Amino acid sequence: MSEMWINMGPQHPMTHGLWNLRVKIDGEIVVDVDAEMGYLHRGIEKISEDRHYNEVITLMDRCCYVAGMAWEHLYILAAEEALHVTVPERALYIRVMSEEFQRVASHLMWYAAFVQDIGLLTPFLYGMRDRDLILDLFQSYTGGRMTYEYMRVGGVRNDMPPGFTDRARKLCTWLIDRFKEYDTLCLASTIFHKRCDNIGVLKAAACRKHGVTGPMLRSAGVKADIRKDRPYAAYDRVEFDVPVQQDADVTARYLIRMEEMRQSIRIIRQTLDWLDAHPGPVIAPQLPRWLGAPYAPIGNEGYLLKRNYPHGLGFSAIEEPHGEALAYLVNDGGEHPYRVKFKSPVFANISAVREYVVGYHVADIPPIMGSVDICVGEVDR
Amino acid sequence: MVGEDIGERLAGHWGTDRLHIEPFPGTAGKVRFDPALVLDVLRVMRDELQFAHLAMVAGIDWEKHREVLYALWSDERKQYILLSADIPAEAAHIESASSIYPSANWHEREAWELVGITFDHHPDLRHLLTPDGYKFHPLLRSFKLHEPETLEVKRRDV
Repeated sequence: MSEMWINMGPQHPMTHGLWNLRVKIDGEIVVDVDAEMGYLHRGIEKISEDRHYNEVITLMDRCCYVAGMAWEHLYILAAEEALHVTVPERALYIRVMSEEFQRVASHLMWYAAFVQDIGLLTPFLYGMRDRDLILDLFQSYTGGRMTYEYMRVGGVRNDMPPGFTDRARKLCTWLIDRFKEYDTLCLASTIFHKRCDNIGVLKAAACRKHGVTGPMLRSAGVKADIRKDRPYAAYDRVEFDVPVQQDADVTARYLIRMEEMRQSIRIIRQTLDWLDAHPGPVIAPQLPRWLGAPYAPIGNEGYLLKRNYPHGLGFSAIEEPHGEALAYLVNDGGEHPYRVKFKSPVFANISAVREYVVGYHVADIPPIMGSVDICVGEVDR
Repeated sequence: MVGEDIGERLAGHWGTDRLHIEPFPGTAGKVRFDPALVLDVLRVMRDELQFAHLAMVAGIDWEKHREVLYALWSDERKQYILLSADIPAEAAHIESASSIYPSANWHEREAWELVGITFDHHPDLRHLLTPDGYKFHPLLRSFKLHEPETLEVKRRDV
């Protein structure tokens, strides 16, 4: 009689999205858990089979709504490989810069939501405020704050507006100073340590066994980062470190993400210097007509021309803010992708939920799940 | 770039008629194998060739047959490798990889409900993204967009 199932979700604040964690409890101790997903399943992979290659980009922003740039990048890399398109170098650097700003924005969103879960309200406002400054920056060159539709097969849609790099540098300086404040707010707080130390532990072997990647894996002492291990875009030409922690608990994941934001700023500064020194085209000049000119309205007649283009397969992997994201794309010579498959890091991280929640108290669940950094949009797709 | 020792090791186990490796850009290669070998191939990948991380299981519908695609990652080699097995559409069955890589669990649940591939001896083959009892497999090519699906909704008498 002492054991019972309770639902944490789909509307529980811990979920950070829409899913349901069914928890079996014995008193205050979690005995078993079962995650129910699918509340946000929109069939993005299926809809992609009915869209032209550049139209899928719109869906990728919605795939993960806090890391749109990263998902656009993931899809674009797979599509370019499958379509045999080469990209101007300047576009590669712009993509790296965009992805890193997105990583900081995503981590700030995580920071805001996570610390609010454990009862600290001031950091929530700080995190959201600073994330908004990054969104302002995105708006200045893409026009969108969360859904950008910025990258294109063959490059990016447009170049930076005048004065952009100076504004971006100013923002970098501002953010670096704020990170110190964040640390003071959290790491100096007894409440923070009482709620976060030594809970949600998932060691390295278990991470690999259950497919857990990203900050959770690095917090367990594994120095794995796809940007370093299998560089894409211009990541082999920028310098940065991969932070590693050994404790594998919630505090370790906090420290990892904080250091990652600093490293992202370091990457952004290098790309900004490069962009200042190397003007040039940002989209491949001679794309096949059915891919459309960068400004061509979607659905113009160029798309309807019969294609005579080689088939191809594309496989891409990126280090998304949440971890390892993969895409597999089949181009069968048609106007639309034949099949697109996306692997979301959060999907794998949640699938291992039993390993890092069972045995802890019910009150530990919000900090633990907060430290996973959940974006349900990319889990359900 | 094909990892040469991988090709040799695999050929040493099964010869080349039931399994062969072809180059795939950006990875250690793409291994096409007989679906009956799936557990043995995955075990060799994990225990002998250091691919400790199963990153993805995907199902692809080629109308006449279906393809099961595994992506593995090795920390030692810093490389991905793709494994692919073709199974007939009318008997879309393959052994579940969950006993070797527990991370396959959810990926296989997804491939089962969306692409209609049954994973034998799966520990927990339930719906993940679609509702319980949903009888369609949306990622099959025969499932057309623009044609509204008809769902039978049972009235519950109160």
